[in-house]
Amino acid sequence: MSLLDALPTPRLGRGKHPNVVLVSLSVTMLAAVWGLDAVSVAANRIVQATGVSAMDAIGWPGVLLASLLIIAVGGLAYQPSRTNYWAALGVVVLILALMPFGLMVAGHFLIDPELPQARLGIGAGYWVLLFILMLCLIELRLKLALRRFWPVVILSSIGLVWWLCASLWLSDLALIQEFKARDRQFIQAALEHILLVSVAVSISIVVGTLLALLMRRFVKLQKSAFALLNFLQTIPSLALFGLLLAPLAWLAANVPILAQLGVSGIGNTPALIALVAYSLLPMVRNTYIALEEVSPDTLEAASAMGMRASQRFWQVRLPLALPIMLEGVRITTVQAIGLTAVAALIGAGGLGTFIFQGLGQAAMDMVLLGALPILILALVVDAGLGALAEVLRPGGVR
Amino acid sequence: MKPNVKQPARLSAQSPSNRLWGQPLLWGLLLAICVLGIPYAEGLFRWFEPNARQVIYQRAHFYDLLGRHLLVVGVAAIVTISLGVGAGIAVTRKKGQDFLPLVSQLASLGQTFPPVAVLALAVPVLGFGTLPIIMALMLYGLLPIVRNTLTGLQDVDADMKTAAHAMGMTPLQTLYQVELPLAAPVILAGIRTSVTINIATAALGATVGASNLGDPIIAGIINGNMAYVIQGALLIALLALTIDSLFDALQSKIRLHLSSSPGDLARHSTR
Amino acid sequence: MIELSQVTKRFGDETAVNAIDLKIAKGKFCALVGTSGCGKSTTLRMINRLIERSDGDIILDGQAIEAYDPVKLRRRIGYVIQSTGLFPHWTVARNIGLVPRLLKWSAEDIQARVKELMELLGLPVEEFAHKYPHQLSGGQAQRVGVARALAADPDILLMDEPFGALDPITRIKLQDELASLQARLHKTVVFVTHDMDEALKLADHLVVMRDGLIVQQGTPLALLQHPKDPFVESLLGGLERGLKQAALTRVKDHMSSMGPTLPSQYRIPADFSLRQALSMMLRDHTDRLAVVDQHDVPIGELSLRKIVKEAQLEKGSMREA
Repeated sequence: MSLLDALPTPRLGRGKHPNVVLVSLSVTMLAAVWGLDAVSVAANRIVQATGVSAMDAIGWPGVLLASLLIIAVGGLAYQPSRTNYWAALGVVVLILALMPFGLMVAGHFLIDPELPQARLGIGAGYWVLLFILMLCLIELRLKLALRRFWPVVILSSIGLVWWLCASLWLSDLALIQEFKARDRQFIQAALEHILLVSVAVSISIVVGTLLALLMRRFVKLQKSAFALLNFLQTIPSLALFGLLLAPLAWLAANVPILAQLGVSGIGNTPALIALVAYSLLPMVRNTYIALEEVSPDTLEAASAMGMRASQRFWQVRLPLALPIMLEGVRITTVQAIGLTAVAALIGAGGLGTFIFQGLGQAAMDMVLLGALPILILALVVDAGLGALAEVLRPGGVR
Repeated sequence: MKPNVKQPARLSAQSPSNRLWGQPLLWGLLLAICVLGIPYAEGLFRWFEPNARQVIYQRAHFYDLLGRHLLVVGVAAIVTISLGVGAGIAVTRKKGQDFLPLVSQLASLGQTFPPVAVLALAVPVLGFGTLPIIMALMLYGLLPIVRNTLTGLQDVDADMKTAAHAMGMTPLQTLYQVELPLAAPVILAGIRTSVTINIATAALGATVGASNLGDPIIAGIINGNMAYVIQGALLIALLALTIDSLFDALQSKIRLHLSSSPGDLARHSTR
Repeated sequence: MIELSQVTKRFGDETAVNAIDLKIAKGKFCALVGTSGCGKSTTLRMINRLIERSDGDIILDGQAIEAYDPVKLRRRIGYVIQSTGLFPHWTVARNIGLVPRLLKWSAEDIQARVKELMELLGLPVEEFAHKYPHQLSGGQAQRVGVARALAADPDILLMDEPFGALDPITRIKLQDELASLQARLHKTVVFVTHDMDEALKLADHLVVMRDGLIVQQGTPLALLQHPKDPFVESLLGGLERGLKQAALTRVKDHMSSMGPTLPSQYRIPADFSLRQALSMMLRDHTDRLAVVDQHDVPIGELSLRKIVKEAQLEKGSMREA
């Protein structure tokens, strides 16, 4: 081997190097459109649905349009430039905005208006396409170096289009039918879910921050508290909910004041306690680490310039720790959204109710009605708090 | 000058290898005792539920449930480890580096998906039973492994890689003899987090008909039988502690190896 | 005026600084030099009470430092460290205005002072005021660090290896700027470094430390001429010592009046250092140079033989460069 071969080959004309990521993503999307079932049709909510390919669902003009748009994304990415990336972003947004119309067309073709129970389900191909389009958005955001704020704007406007379609023309869709059958319940469950999560997270922010501050003051506390919190995490969430039932029921029965305050073995109280218990570890850990990890040189400089201990804490340590603390809030909240779903098992309400009822009735559309909003809620909170952390990081430190 | 803080004599505490494996052995033993002993501890559990008809979970043997629990977690772990470490390695190579940003974003997105929601979404596709929970565990456990593999490999000193390159090591040799050994402690820490989380999360599988240690818990919640819940929770916690301390011992061993034999590294990179 | 007497610092069983005596006169530049771990940084930090000493007295302007509130004390002492310690979440302007803000100056005063300092340190206000520390190069960040230390116009400036992390070219540039700043501002500076050339270049008073003790102190020239022991001598550069000494003296101090003819076609300005003159002689194979003033008019001559003879005679009688 000559010495020249051993050297890494320089990328000539880096601008022309195709974006392999987007190209392979669009190939996968094509495969999903052509190879997987786009939608499914069922005669009613219990029977097994049958899959329908894209060709049958939206006809060859629809498949052709979809394929062309997907090829356009790949083609634009084959010769990347800032303009082409923007164009690709436009195409991706266009596909996302057109997708509900695809469902409408499919509903028109496949659902017999004579059968009121018949419904249209979303198939694997559709989900895969949706997921990969999200990946395309992420990749484009990274390549265009957009701030996190932009995807939030883009996705919420696409969400608006979807919502409009859903509420006006998509009545054939199983999810919509399921929603219409219990819209009040759904809204109430969603509100309960959000309320439970916000209360639990607020409590754990306050308690967690206090605990982290105490740990910084009393070193001994630190070890035992972390050991306890770590131990709490090894108990399965399911079990913690269950374990709280009996003691709380006993308390409610024997301490009347608590019962009047709404404490009972089943419902919100055990859910809230368990949620806070689980939320404390990520909250305390991130707060503690965030406060501890501020560079000692920066802190020494603060003292050397004549800052008092309190000034040093409020003006230097805390602002520098805030982004990492917020990261803790983000992890905690996302985790709490998932755990609250489990809490439905002990009667805490929330969107988990639909999941477990649906599983019990083998009604998958109902499961979807519970799971999908939970997923969306988690993603929205994740993106929102991520964007907030970015804003709070002046000058983009770290 | 900064104060010269004395290092606690930590090394001496872990030098004998039997000490290293003592903790996992202890927890494992306790787990075994509980698995086999709970059916005979009716008196103890009667104390929690004086009025219940039954206080010992009877629908399956505990060792059966433990076995299935381990199977689910094990299969998920094997898949996530090969996928996660594989992806981490692939995107840190020259050919795969284009995928690096997307993969690291995707991995963090994976943990945003609540396991219950994933479980629920997997059921329509995969049916009731063990498959959906394995799927959910895979998605949920992927992040720590991918993240730590990436950090571990990226933190390997660039000079060391250049040196390996300059000595005439092929990229594959560099990976196996330099990068992976140096990144091993970090990668192992990721696997540890992933597996420990999944042991607890696997209990959720009981809600979609996968029979494992979550079963007694669900049954207990539904029937209002605290004793069942305690039995399930106790076994899962002990299992988690056993596996966690096993990883702890493994990590100490690796750390000991890395810190006690700096000559090894030199040998690796000049071979 | 800073006065340390019998100052000692112990960390547990270890004695970092052992009963040192040190006097730094007002407006003087004092450099503490030594290998790492010799106690020079600890000594520095005891002056602004970042570290409390174990024993001895430190007197500042006639008052023991305990008499001052530590916070107020620090606000009147500037402090510069190697890693700059700039606050990463604040802009350059806000970083520089820190101490004035702590002292509750009015907003306009702070703004004016920040502008003045940025100009003084060669940082164009429009370009840098709104940047964040991580957007600066090492040299720029350290300029901001110095500006921050000077913000409230302190009499005393403590500097802990401020240029240690910079590349050689930037380091020399900043050293030159610091020297010219000091010539204008006349602060009392305590400067910690392990770079002897830096210390020789900047200091009025040189303190060599080892193992928590002061081995020798005096003017740079005095130390160069009479290093007390082999350690100081090796620190001062061993065989290179002669040249370092020559770097501290000017050509005009060694020139003699010119004879009837021009000694050589080679000329050297009178305010160049003797080291530069010697280098020129070696380069141009000559033992005599014509000394010229700023208008390039010959005013004297420099002879190698005479320099050597002077050095033999003078032993020890020289003061101040």
